[in-house]
Amino acid sequence: MTVEPILSGGTRGQTRRAVLAGGLAAAAALPLAGCGEAPRPITLRWWSPQAAPEQVRAYRAQIRAFEKKHPNIGVEFEPTSDEGYPAQFAAAFAAGQVPNIVTHLPSFAAQGYYAKGLLAPMDAVADAVGIARFLPGINDVYRAPDGSLAAIGIGGTAVDMLWVRSDLMAEAGIETIPRTWDALRDACRRMQRGAVYGAPLPYGNNSMTSLVFVSFIHRAGGQVFTPSLELALDSEPTYHALDFYRSMRELCPPGASSFGWADSLNAFVSGGTATGIYGGRVLANVARQNPRIAETLRCAAYPTMDATIPAWTFNDFPSLFIPKRASHPAETRAFAAFLYDPEGYVRQLLAAPGHVLPVLRGVAESDAYRSNPLTVSFASEIETMTAAAARGHNLGWESPAHRPNLKAGEIIASNAIAELVQRVVAGEPAKAAVGRAASAIERIMRG
Amino acid sequence: MTARPLLRPAARAPISDALLGPLLIAPAVLILCAVIVYPLLATAWLSLFAIDTRTMEGGWVGLANFAAMLGPDGRFFGALGVTLVWTAGTLTLQLALGIGIALLLHQPLWFRSLARGLALFPYLVSTVVAVLVWRWLFNDFFGLFNRALIGLDVISRPVDWLGQMPNAMASTIVVGAWKFFPFVVIAVLARLQTIPDSLYEAARLDGAGAWGRFRDVTLPQLADVLGIVILLRAIWDFKEFDLIFLLTGGGPVDATRTLPLVVYQEAFGLNRMGLASAHALGMMVVMTVMFVAYRLLTKART
Amino acid sequence: MKRSAILGAMRQVSTWMLILALATPLLWMALTSFKPESELFAIPISILPEEWTIEAYRLLIEETAFLTYFRNSVVVAAATTMLVVVVGALGAYSLVRFRYPGREWIAGLALVSYLLPSLVLIVPIYLMMVAAGLANTLASLVIAYTSFALPYSLWLLRSFMAGVPEELEAAAMIDGASRMGAFVDVVLPQALPGIISTALFTFILAWNEYLFALVLVNADAQRPLTTGVMTMLVSGFNVEWSLLMAASVMMSVPLILVLAFLQSYLVRGFGAGAVKG
Repeated sequence: MTVEPILSGGTRGQTRRAVLAGGLAAAAALPLAGCGEAPRPITLRWWSPQAAPEQVRAYRAQIRAFEKKHPNIGVEFEPTSDEGYPAQFAAAFAAGQVPNIVTHLPSFAAQGYYAKGLLAPMDAVADAVGIARFLPGINDVYRAPDGSLAAIGIGGTAVDMLWVRSDLMAEAGIETIPRTWDALRDACRRMQRGAVYGAPLPYGNNSMTSLVFVSFIHRAGGQVFTPSLELALDSEPTYHALDFYRSMRELCPPGASSFGWADSLNAFVSGGTATGIYGGRVLANVARQNPRIAETLRCAAYPTMDATIPAWTFNDFPSLFIPKRASHPAETRAFAAFLYDPEGYVRQLLAAPGHVLPVLRGVAESDAYRSNPLTVSFASEIETMTAAAARGHNLGWESPAHRPNLKAGEIIASNAIAELVQRVVAGEPAKAAVGRAASAIERIMRG
Repeated sequence: MTARPLLRPAARAPISDALLGPLLIAPAVLILCAVIVYPLLATAWLSLFAIDTRTMEGGWVGLANFAAMLGPDGRFFGALGVTLVWTAGTLTLQLALGIGIALLLHQPLWFRSLARGLALFPYLVSTVVAVLVWRWLFNDFFGLFNRALIGLDVISRPVDWLGQMPNAMASTIVVGAWKFFPFVVIAVLARLQTIPDSLYEAARLDGAGAWGRFRDVTLPQLADVLGIVILLRAIWDFKEFDLIFLLTGGGPVDATRTLPLVVYQEAFGLNRMGLASAHALGMMVVMTVMFVAYRLLTKART
Repeated sequence: MKRSAILGAMRQVSTWMLILALATPLLWMALTSFKPESELFAIPISILPEEWTIEAYRLLIEETAFLTYFRNSVVVAAATTMLVVVVGALGAYSLVRFRYPGREWIAGLALVSYLLPSLVLIVPIYLMMVAAGLANTLASLVIAYTSFALPYSLWLLRSFMAGVPEELEAAAMIDGASRMGAFVDVVLPQALPGIISTALFTFILAWNEYLFALVLVNADAQRPLTTGVMTMLVSGFNVEWSLLMAASVMMSVPLILVLAFLQSYLVRGFGAGAVKG
């Protein structure tokens, strides 16, 4: 009795094995094939979650310009992500393998890391750029309890502007952009017909819902915390906001109960809703994906409960910070300051036109900034957004009088506020739901 | 053919059998110990402290994390219930779909290779992409499902597939089954190839119909592979994070918040690495209990 | 005869309908990758592209680091697969044919490693890799992925090898083969479907893994496809849909090729002439 080893069967089998072996050998040889130029003596690593192809191109241009001026320094840009950065940073900090410079993380992330002693103060870099060059007060949000700057701003974002379609407004006989909640609700009701909904507000158990709802509390004249960081959630304005938000549910698409930023943006850009709630990316997306409605776009600060309450815009304050244990601190600071060099800075901003707004004086009015078709045709919208962003706030810093809230990031990540919204919209009694959210938030504040 | 003594060593045995056995398993043990045992011990250690994820430092709290986790304010039992519902639901569907499709693909079929490729495709696609595509399909405006149902006049308004119960859990279970059933197909198909036709012939001669042949020939032959497949899929489904996190994020409220989602939120959202580690150990205990119960059940049967 | 032919055809048709239904998301993915951006969000949606374009593919290949990511993924997946098959096959053989103290414990250890959620493994594994000087290298991914796939490989191969009758090896050894010779010539071929399953599973795991790749490898030149593509195209705020669908199609092609390659091994029946009489 003989056994036929199957492996050596047939010419077909042999050819396949040869191909397989050849392929693997080639694949293994690939890493050995060198690439690129010789590494420079000093290498800096730059992390950012804003890494769309257009933006990366702009960063590379800035890097090339810097490397030309400093032949002994090389910079590597390494993209991270909005979801992945907590895990990446935890590992990087734990192992001491930190990048040299990090941009575009929200202000409360920067404040949080600084509070844990993980970041270097940024006052020197702010001075190197020139304090006077920044828009007045734009870096106040980064002032840490010890008086130093935990980070500086690389841009501003007016995240929750009201966008409207002027054509749908005209059709429904609405003459002015709504200024109050009642006007907004009424307008949405009248514009909602057929397959078009009034608004794409988020009702999901996610960070967008939490962040957006915090704005609504302020638009009702309230706040989540007092300036000394006592929890003020259980107060009149919160209940007004919950009432309004619940009443808007029927004017939003059914899928809004799991809306994230991209879903809400797409709903408006595609024409599925008459109003939108987003920042400047609307402009670029409409231009690329639905140019037919480009002419009809208008934006304004989001309506407040009544005309006496001033507008309140959520600005996540994309930041720039330097980890304390980063190598080559002097070179890193030089590179950080270089990022504000007008030519490169404008190009970086124009990679997401209208979405990341300038924090330096004079940039918005400069010719370079206005060389982009979107910034030209939507100049007034961008002006509105810039003004709103400059006066904007977030949970980490609810007003100039507030102390920085170092737990803002964790409060958002806990979804306590999003859950509150979901419970109330689902019909649970508001008082109980607010109580639950309040105790969850208090537990986080206690640490 | 006469029986011969089995373990008679070959004429020249360079390494004795006694050494060869452990030697062959040594590399595997080495890798597993290094990459699994150390992190496991680290997790157990961390669960006794209140560690801030960003600094990986913190003070001793003993069993306080476990007390918090299991106590009235804790989220362990709630999430455990959700995880069990999800696991049972998707596992059942994966098995049904997997065995069914494997049987179909075992038969003659036009363009069978292509069909096999397509059937296995969901497993090949990365979870992130798969979930993005499914969310798109569920979308109110651009989603195929809503559009088809509205077009066929079954509904007049789009359905909220992911933000409402029971839709959210049902959708999650279906997407999970779609994503992972090919794993069952691969294992079952491989095993089906090794069932000799003679057994089917014998059953047919005895007068068994299609279902009878399946029940009396196929199923017993598949038993050992299915045993492993059920065990592994149950464990992996229980641990599944990416799919549920990206699809529903745990919502509405906490209706689809499984234990892995809680672990992630504690570790990287709330920066409470110690509590996250405690939850992870809790998960491990539950899975061990499931595993032991499963082994006892299967041993009792054979 | 005719009736069974009709039934057979019906069975084939319904099988294909089921397959196509299951493949809907993927067909949609492929169709979308050929649509220009302006068509993506048109309401009402179109199924077939009105304008077929390969712009997304061109952009990915020419203007992004996609090919670098691709190369990295191939290297990691291939290396992991080879390592897992070799170590797993040897280990499974050891578990099946040999007796030594602690054998059952080791089998149990393999499975215990699956009981821990990978989320908490991330930071300790990263620290280990840093200590070993392997941070930011493809090797760290290979090691991590090998440990994920090894338990499965051990168990599956153990099951297949247990199904190989011992008489076959004994016969080979009586014919003069050594123990390991018998292993290679007799056991491996019989366990081939199991080996193929293992290889397929490992390759897919290594190809699609995201979280560990995210944390263990940060340098762009060393990134595999999953993290490279995701961080480039998907953010909390925005999804570059056309590029993402094109990238997904291109990421799936090698897997399909591997599948097509290995399918006939998967399909090959019980060795003709192996044991008769």
